[in-house]
Amino acid sequence: MTAPQGMLAPVDWRVRPWTAADARHLLWRAQFGASGAEIDRALKAGAAASVERLLHPTPSREFEETSTLLRRCAMDTGSALDLKAWWLHRMHHSSHPLVEKLTLFWHNHFATSITKVRSAAVMAAQNDLCRREALGSFPALLHGMSKDAAMVAWLDGNANRRRHANENFARELLELFALGEGHYTEKDIKEAARAFTGWHVRDDKFWFNRGQHDEGIKTLFGKSGNLDGGDVVNLCLAQPACPRFLAKKLLTAFVLPRPSEAAVAALAERVRELDFTMSRVMSELFSSELFFSREARGSLIKSPVDLVLGALRALDGEPNLQAVQRLLALLGQDVFAPPTVKGWEGGRLWVTSASLLQRANFAAALVGSNQCGTIRFLKSPRLRLDASSAQLTKDLAELLLPQPLDPEQENQLAQHHAATKGTPEDRLRSLLHVMMALPEFQQM
Amino acid sequence: MNTTSNLPAILASRRRFLGQAGAMGILALGAQAPGFWARAAQGAVNRDGRILVLLQLAGGNDGLNTVIPHTRDEYYRLRPSLAVPKGAALKLNDELSLNPQLVGLKELHDQGLLSIIQGVGYPAPNRSHFRSMDIWHSAVPTKEHTRDGWLGRAMDAAANSLVGQVPALALETGPLPLALVAGRTSVPTIQGVQDYRLSGGAGDALEQQRKRSLIGSLANHRGTGANDADDDLAFLRRTATTAIATAKRIEASASHKPTKPYPATGLGRRLETIARFIAADVGPQVYFVSLDGFDTHSDQAQAHNALLTELGGATRAFFRDLEASGLAKRVLLATFSEFGRRVKENGSLGTDHGAASQMFLMSGGIAPTIHGSHPSLTDLDEGDLKHHTDFRQVYATLLEQWLGWPSEPALLGRFKQLKLG
Repeated sequence: MTAPQGMLAPVDWRVRPWTAADARHLLWRAQFGASGAEIDRALKAGAAASVERLLHPTPSREFEETSTLLRRCAMDTGSALDLKAWWLHRMHHSSHPLVEKLTLFWHNHFATSITKVRSAAVMAAQNDLCRREALGSFPALLHGMSKDAAMVAWLDGNANRRRHANENFARELLELFALGEGHYTEKDIKEAARAFTGWHVRDDKFWFNRGQHDEGIKTLFGKSGNLDGGDVVNLCLAQPACPRFLAKKLLTAFVLPRPSEAAVAALAERVRELDFTMSRVMSELFSSELFFSREARGSLIKSPVDLVLGALRALDGEPNLQAVQRLLALLGQDVFAPPTVKGWEGGRLWVTSASLLQRANFAAALVGSNQCGTIRFLKSPRLRLDASSAQLTKDLAELLLPQPLDPEQENQLAQHHAATKGTPEDRLRSLLHVMMALPEFQQM
Repeated sequence: MNTTSNLPAILASRRRFLGQAGAMGILALGAQAPGFWARAAQGAVNRDGRILVLLQLAGGNDGLNTVIPHTRDEYYRLRPSLAVPKGAALKLNDELSLNPQLVGLKELHDQGLLSIIQGVGYPAPNRSHFRSMDIWHSAVPTKEHTRDGWLGRAMDAAANSLVGQVPALALETGPLPLALVAGRTSVPTIQGVQDYRLSGGAGDALEQQRKRSLIGSLANHRGTGANDADDDLAFLRRTATTAIATAKRIEASASHKPTKPYPATGLGRRLETIARFIAADVGPQVYFVSLDGFDTHSDQAQAHNALLTELGGATRAFFRDLEASGLAKRVLLATFSEFGRRVKENGSLGTDHGAASQMFLMSGGIAPTIHGSHPSLTDLDEGDLKHHTDFRQVYATLLEQWLGWPSEPALLGRFKQLKLG
C-alpha cells in the first residue's frame, strides 16, 4: 500500500520542533478541549506518541462503570434528558475521547432525532453503532445504518412497501450519507428505494418484511438485477463520489472550513486506498502537513459541544450535565435532536448575534458561578497567581486560545487584570471571563 | 402581476450591497477608525425596513365563527347552538361581521388597519393537525417536507446578504417553528428579553460594566484578516460587535415603555416584546409568535371566546402602541391556522377539523381590503369550506410585496399574488 504524499505526508518533526501550540491544536481537534496537564503530557510524548495515544488509550474501568450506571438510568426512565446526560458524560470523561468525537461526527452525518424516533433505547442503539464504527469501517457503518431501527423509523422505512415505494431513506442515503447532491439522478433514487422496500422495523428491531419487498429488476449506476438494500449500499461505496464526499466532510469537521479541491481529492484517494478504515484515515490526517499547516490553525468555528465541553476541560471542570444539555440546546446543538436529517451544517451557521451573546454569557456563568459545572483550574498548582498581569494574560491565552492575541489586545487584557479589584482569584475570574467571551475563543 | 412598490427594492439593494461588499466594502468605507466593526454593525440594523409578524393560531381556528357571514341562513341552520346571534356580531359590512369577542379587531378595522383574506387553503386539504401545520410551515402540500420552511428557504436565498444578522426571531418556548428552519441561516428562538443581553458576570455593577465594555472593545478589533470576506475571525468579530450593539438596543428597549397598555395575556406580553424590539431597532425582519388552544372539539364557545378576546385585545394594543410610536406603517402582522373547522357543529357543542379559513393582515402600511368572497356554505368539500385562494399566493404576496424577498425559492414555484395596495 502506498504512503500518503504531498499535503497529506506526515510532518517531519525533526525539521521543526513539536510545540505546546501543536499539541493544543491536535487535542482540541481530536477531543473536546484540552487541559493544561494534557497539553504538557502530549508535548513531552511527542507527535507520533500523542496520535497513537488518541487512537489506543488505556481504558478506564471507573469511567465505564459510571457510564453504565448513567445509561441504565436513561433506559429505565426512557427520558431524552437522561440519554443526553449519558452521552455528554462520555464525551467529557471517556478515556477514549476521539471515539466520542467521531461518534458525534457520525451522529451529525446520519442525523437522526429522538423527537420523531421517540425511544431512548432505539436512539442509544444507533449511538452504539456510531461508536462501534467510529474508528472502524465506514462501509460497516453505512450497512448498519440502513438496518438501524432509529434510522428506519426516522426516514419512514415502514412506509416503504412493494409497489408503494417511499423514497425518504433512499434519497438521503444518496444525497446525505454516501454521495452528495449532483452524483445521482431522480431515477436512481426511485430504483434504490425499491431495493429497500420491506426493510422495516418491528418491536424496535430491524425486520425484513419479505412480503413487502420488491423482487423485481432494478438498475442503479448502470448495474441491473434483483438488487436489495445491501447491494445499493455497496454500489454507493464503489462510486468515486463516495470517498470524495466523506473526505470533504472530514476535512471541514477536523481540519479547515474551506478545503481546496486538491485537499479533498488527496484525502479521497487515501480514504479509498485505506478501504474506508477510519482509524488509519484519522491517524494519517492527524499526522499530516495539512493538519498542522498555518491555514488550519484556529480555523474552525467551535460547535456548541466543542465550546462548552472544551471550556470545561481546559479549566479542569466537572460539567453539570443537565445544565450543559440545556445550554447546548440553547446554543443550537441539542444532541440526539438535530434539527433536520441534514444535521448541523456547522461553521458560520453556528453563529448568530444571539448565539454569540449566549456563548459569551456561558463564559460568565462558567467562571462566575457553579451553574454549568465546577472548575478546579483556579486551585491548580500550575497556576501562578502571583505572576505579573502581563505574564498571567500570556499564560491563559496560551492555554485557551488557538492563536496568539495581537499585542494590543494582550495589553488591554493585562491592564484590565491589573485594575481589577478583589482577591487574586476574583481578578483571575474576571480575566478568564473576558478572554472566553472573545471572538477568538469561538475558534479552535 | 407586479405591484411591488420601490421601497423593498431599495432595501433589497442595500442588503445586497452589504452582502456582496462584505468586509471589503466595509473596509472601503473607512477602516482605519477605531471601533472598526461598529461601523459594520450600523449597516446590519433594519432601521427603516418592513417587518412581518407571523401569528400562528394553533389547533385550527374556527374561521366561520371568527368572521361571520351573517346573511347566510345555512350558518344559523348548521350551527344551531354555536352560531353567533345576528344582533351580537360586530358588523363589518352588509355581508360580514366579526365575532363579538373581537372588539379589538373591530377597532383596527374601523381605523383602516385590518385586511381579511377569505377562503384560504390548499388543494386536497389534510385534516391532521400535525400534517396540515407542516404543510402551512413548509409550503409543500404534496409530500412530507420537514427539512426547511418557507421563510427558512427565503432567508437561505438571501443568505449572502443576511450573514451575521438575525433575519428572523421566534418568540417561542419550544423548538424553532418549521417555517423558520433554514439550511444556511440559523434563527434564534427566544423567550424574552432576558436571553438577549451581554452578561457582566460576577462582581458589582462597576466591575460588570468594565467587563462588558472590554469584551465589546476587544471584539471590535480590526485584526489582519479584516479585508478577507472568507476570514472567519473577522466574521466573528463583526457578528459579535453587531450582537453587542443589538443587545444594548434591547437593553435600551427594556426602558421603552409601551405607549399604550397591553392586556396581561401571553400573546399580549409577546407582542409587547416584539413592539419593543421593533421600536429599539433590534434587527429582525420576521417575527414568529403563536397562540395555542384552538382545537375546540367540545364546549367550544367558552374556550374560543377567550382565545378571540386574547387575539383581539393583544393585536389592538400592539397596533395602538405601534401607531403611537409611528411604526405601524412598517409592520404587517399576518395570522394563519392549520385549518378552519367543519361547517356543521358536532354533537358536543364543538366543531371538528375542517379546511379553508381566513387570514387576517393587520398593518398601517397597506390599504385595508377584504380579499375574495366568503366561501359557499352549501357547496362544501366533505362538509368543509372550499378554498379559492392558495395560502402560497398569500405567502408570495407577503414575500414579494412586503419584504421584497424573491418568492420562488421560498415557495418552490410561482404563485399569483394578491394586491396588497
